[in-house]
Amino acid sequence: MNHVSRGFLSFSGSLLIAACAVLPPAGLAQNSSKADQWIHVRVESKDAEGETVRVNVPIEMAVKILPAINHDNLHGGKVRIDNAHLNDVDLLTLLDAVRSSKDGEYVTVQSNQDNVRVAKNAGYLYIHVNENPGKGKKHADAKDSSKESKVEIKVPMKVVDALFSAGNDELDVVAALRALSSSGDTELVSVKDDENTVRVWIDSKNISD
Amino acid sequence: MLFLAKAALGFGAILALSGAYVFHEGVIRVDVDETRGDCHHVHVWVPATVVPIALQVVPRVKLQQAAEQVRPYLPLLREIAKELQKYPNAELVDVQQPGQHVHVSVHDSRIFVDAVSDEDNIHVRVPVQIISDVADRLESVAPGV
Repeated sequence: MNHVSRGFLSFSGSLLIAACAVLPPAGLAQNSSKADQWIHVRVESKDAEGETVRVNVPIEMAVKILPAINHDNLHGGKVRIDNAHLNDVDLLTLLDAVRSSKDGEYVTVQSNQDNVRVAKNAGYLYIHVNENPGKGKKHADAKDSSKESKVEIKVPMKVVDALFSAGNDELDVVAALRALSSSGDTELVSVKDDENTVRVWIDSKNISD
Repeated sequence: MLFLAKAALGFGAILALSGAYVFHEGVIRVDVDETRGDCHHVHVWVPATVVPIALQVVPRVKLQQAAEQVRPYLPLLREIAKELQKYPNAELVDVQQPGQHVHVSVHDSRIFVDAVSDEDNIHVRVPVQIISDVADRLESVAPGV
């Protein structure tokens, strides 16, 4: 082997080592925890601005980051509830009553303009609210009929339990997120009205639909 | 002639290896393009390896001042950096409205922040590891401020 060939081989070897050092560890990079649950929030505004907001956050990441945020009522991953609105309501007792009750519909309100339904079924708490200000009015105008809104909330009971596990005047958001991460793919909140569509759901995808 | 060839080979190898070291943590890239007023254009590409070295030569007093200001956010910064390393590819935030688009994502362990509007285009790419390095350095110059 002549000097040129030997030199070429040495130089190629050096370049190879350099390339290995530069390239990112692709194997490690792609090995993101596939089973991790992500919480997705999508807000779509139907007004002239047509704003769309999409947020995707790994639940595990939120669980780690939230305790590091201390702002206003949020401290150590717990939100302090303003007692002023809860003076006469013992949330824990109320929750315990719901938890120990059989599946069924607890609250049903039906009127010309509003339908409210609170129910428990198969370990989930359901809250459905339908508002239609124009319905039932003798002279409902187009503006009223377009203001129909629909709210659907579906929360696993174990998440509700975890949320109120810190006591009567605190919401343990971190505990709730932990409980949520083990709940599988779930549609949590859906709000549709004439101005906005809001969706909150969890799944194992790292992008929204 | 042979001596020159060997010297060139050695120089080339050193250049390649030092290049590899300098860029092994990636590149911090900041691109700002304004289309209003004075139409400023800023384009900065800096090897991420330079940041920890630069932090070593910045006067300690200046670093302490910076640390005092960002102290409440250091634990948060460190946690975000640590967690983002577990998710090397993710679309985190996307906000669109007429004439504006803000996008925050992570690709190959680099944070991408893109803010595009009719008047300004801002693109920032920062390796996640750098956030952690900066937070650690600030913590070390002003522990428990």
